[in-house]
Amino acid sequence: MRITQGTFSFLPDLDDAQVARQVDYCLGRGWALGIEYTDDPHPRNTYWEMFGPPMFDLRDAAGIMAELARCRAAWPRHYIRLTAFDSSAGTESIVLAFIVNRPAVEPGFRLLRHEVAGRTVRYSIESYAVHARPEGARYPGHGEMTD
Amino acid sequence: MEADGVNQVKDASRRYAAGVLKYAQMGYWAPDYVPRETDVLAVFRITPQDGVDAVEAAAAVAGESSTATWTVVWTDRLTACETYRAKAYRVDPVPHIPGQYFCWIAYDLALFEEGSIANVAASIIGNVFSFKPLKAARLEDMRFPVAYVKTFPGPPTGIVVERERMDKFGRPLLGATTKPKLGLSGRNYGRVVYEGLKGGLDFMKDDENINSQPFMHWRDRFLFVMEAVNRASAASGEVKGHYLNVTAGTMEEMIRRAEFARELGSIVVMVDLVVGWTAIQSMSYWCRQHDMVLHMHRAGHGTYTRQKNHGVSFRVIAKWLRLCGVDHLHAGTAVGKLEGDPMTVQGFYNICRDSQTEVDLPRGLFFDQDWGGLRKVMPVASGGIHAGQMHQLLDLFGDDVVLQFGGGTIGHPQGIQAGATANRVALEAMVLARNEGRDIREEGPDILRAAARWCAPLQAALDTWGEISFNYTPTDTSDFTPTATAS
Amino acid sequence: MQIDDLPRQETANPFAAALLDTGIAQLLDQLDRELVGLAPVKRRIRDIAALLLVDRLRAEHGLHGGAPSLHMCFTGNPGTGKTTVALRMADILHRLGHVRKGHLVAVTRDDLVGQYIGHTAPRTREVLKKAMGGVLFIDEAYYLYRPENERDYGQEAIEILLQVMENGRDDLVVILAGYKDRMDTFFASNPGMSSRIAHHIDFPDYGVDELASIAGLMLAQMDYRFDDEAARVFLDYLGRRRAQAHFANARSVRNALDRARLRHASRLLQDPAACADADWLATIRAPDLLASRVFAPEEAPCCKP
Repeated sequence: MRITQGTFSFLPDLDDAQVARQVDYCLGRGWALGIEYTDDPHPRNTYWEMFGPPMFDLRDAAGIMAELARCRAAWPRHYIRLTAFDSSAGTESIVLAFIVNRPAVEPGFRLLRHEVAGRTVRYSIESYAVHARPEGARYPGHGEMTD
Repeated sequence: MEADGVNQVKDASRRYAAGVLKYAQMGYWAPDYVPRETDVLAVFRITPQDGVDAVEAAAAVAGESSTATWTVVWTDRLTACETYRAKAYRVDPVPHIPGQYFCWIAYDLALFEEGSIANVAASIIGNVFSFKPLKAARLEDMRFPVAYVKTFPGPPTGIVVERERMDKFGRPLLGATTKPKLGLSGRNYGRVVYEGLKGGLDFMKDDENINSQPFMHWRDRFLFVMEAVNRASAASGEVKGHYLNVTAGTMEEMIRRAEFARELGSIVVMVDLVVGWTAIQSMSYWCRQHDMVLHMHRAGHGTYTRQKNHGVSFRVIAKWLRLCGVDHLHAGTAVGKLEGDPMTVQGFYNICRDSQTEVDLPRGLFFDQDWGGLRKVMPVASGGIHAGQMHQLLDLFGDDVVLQFGGGTIGHPQGIQAGATANRVALEAMVLARNEGRDIREEGPDILRAAARWCAPLQAALDTWGEISFNYTPTDTSDFTPTATAS
Repeated sequence: MQIDDLPRQETANPFAAALLDTGIAQLLDQLDRELVGLAPVKRRIRDIAALLLVDRLRAEHGLHGGAPSLHMCFTGNPGTGKTTVALRMADILHRLGHVRKGHLVAVTRDDLVGQYIGHTAPRTREVLKKAMGGVLFIDEAYYLYRPENERDYGQEAIEILLQVMENGRDDLVVILAGYKDRMDTFFASNPGMSSRIAHHIDFPDYGVDELASIAGLMLAQMDYRFDDEAARVFLDYLGRRRAQAHFANARSVRNALDRARLRHASRLLQDPAACADADWLATIRAPDLLASRVFAPEEAPCCKP
């Protein structure tokens, strides 16, 4: 399957030129950019790992694209996203977040149904990749066997 | 009384002698009054009966929405009546419409109960509109002082927190109302919800008249809908929701339904405007305590908001609802099947989303309104819109809006999921292009066609609906544009 | 033949027209007006502008020569205009499309080098990220290289800079600056750095007449003037001060003028004949300058004038 989190997930994966244009859009509006990665794509997993602190005061996309390349080299089998922060009054939150790297295979989520009184069901979602596997060992590389 | 018609009678013995005075003489017309920071202000559009003087009519509106009655009463003198009298301080003729006037009225803060929109409504519109000397009257806009704004908690969630909870940033949210409006069984209803969410929408929606009817009891709807929501969430990895309508006959029943929605794990509930201001405020506080988003459907507003000369403008309703505390509010599409000219609709959106709304006469905003840090309401555009209009919608409304495509999703020739996917792809492609600096107003159709080349559902949507538009002359337009209408 | 020699009619020469169109001609003229002297510097800047302009026109005809390296080294004493010219250079490069954003980030060694292991690389990268799309100006760059201290992390910063100067030529222009002799030593020990610098530009000390012109510009900006005698005395002052140690060119002129203002103000308060009219308030006279220690009989040359 394909996780559709992030602003542009229904479009084909963005190439570097497209990512750089989005970065320029953010810089032009004075937003700080952060790079985050994770191998736990649960929709309620808010805090992905930060690849360095958010970058403030940059004028050009080249610096961020270089950092992104380093993150991809370091964590090729993780989800990586670019997050833009707007500090202006009334917002003070994230204003753009999109995925720029995915594992080669995304097995998806399992829906757990816990039946209680009446017809009520308590739901929870579990990632097949995460299920019983520790961080860093969840997504296979090319040609690796999964057990 | 031989005093002239307009000037306030200052001599107490004459002012309070029994008999009838003109309202302007009673002190309700105060042209030199400078509104205070703490006053509540209102602007009415009045059409006095033939032969009724505009200033007197304005003073009458001020009087009848505060302390006056049709004859002088001695008991006034037991009070600090100067404070409690509303003051009409300005009257202007409406441009291009003879016989109509704007009048500005100031109300002292002491007239209002803190944290009660029911009180505001009862005070301002409770009495005046049936008044015979007026042919017609419309409450156009109000200004609430920060002192009064601060007595309301406001929207329980707000745009920023809603996005943080859903983990969705940088684009409008997408929704659809289940169709047909009535008649589906619970299980079939849930199927429509699953298909729409799975295909790519963020929300699905109960319609305003789905409460609990013989063809589907509310509990069965909630159970099947939440199964659909969770299935779609697992299938996509996204946070999804369905506005479960908790409108009911009594407040207690509404709370009961909301509790069940919460128990089942819904992130959002919905109420209809017809439940009334008091019920809305109660639901708002409940939602904050239980971390739920409150979706407001403005059912019934058209009866009094649509005609330019009589009623209450929707911008006032929007202000009241932001104070009551709603998170989503249907505010118009401008290009869809329901009433709303683009400038006026943008005015409603400003009221929902600004930290400080500014005077903007072409958009119908008569006052600066400082929202005192109150959270922002997410406007909802719903009614006859489709993917082929995505560039217009994004250009008109920006990112902080929920775009609802009911027919535009469920009526798709390849099925509901395809309909949802078409809308989501159209939206993301348009946002991408806009961020890159392209002029989506001009190039929108090209951007859609380019995306349709690799997205068959979008191509089918454009083929089916590409030509549909709803172009009737709007009935409620601003008076302050180069070509004003006289409807 | 140089750009300034080309005929200035509107119709004849397409290059001159293109120079006008990009706004470069105005910038270069502004440079001419606001910076005194610096003839070799201005000539080199005009040459670079010509190169980039021609390059752009070639590209429009499908002739691609590859982006030229424009990393530079400015050498000269303090106060000779190195930082000012670097700022103008950033603007010119931006107008010619050679850098994308045209901002200037000015740093010294301390902004690039860390105090402990692992500190340097992120610091240098932070600075580089901020400078991307513009110009990085490193003042007294030779302090990066401290071979006598084995725990010094400057070498790491140098490595990173070398890499960016080579691979990131589209993203960044680097300008090093400092004293000529120390820069020469630095390049001798760091041939990699030397080979990446395309333009070595020397900023010679100003002559007395040039310093006097600079003083004239500064006075005009401050709404002061010299009377005739003061102007003559000032030339004398410049000649003497220039010969002394720690002369910082334009900066020393600015300091001298500030001290003259001080004495001018004191004189007005003490002179019984003084009037509060524009003439008295704005005119610096010879006594205000003669009070300087530069005119005192010979003492230890390092005393502050």
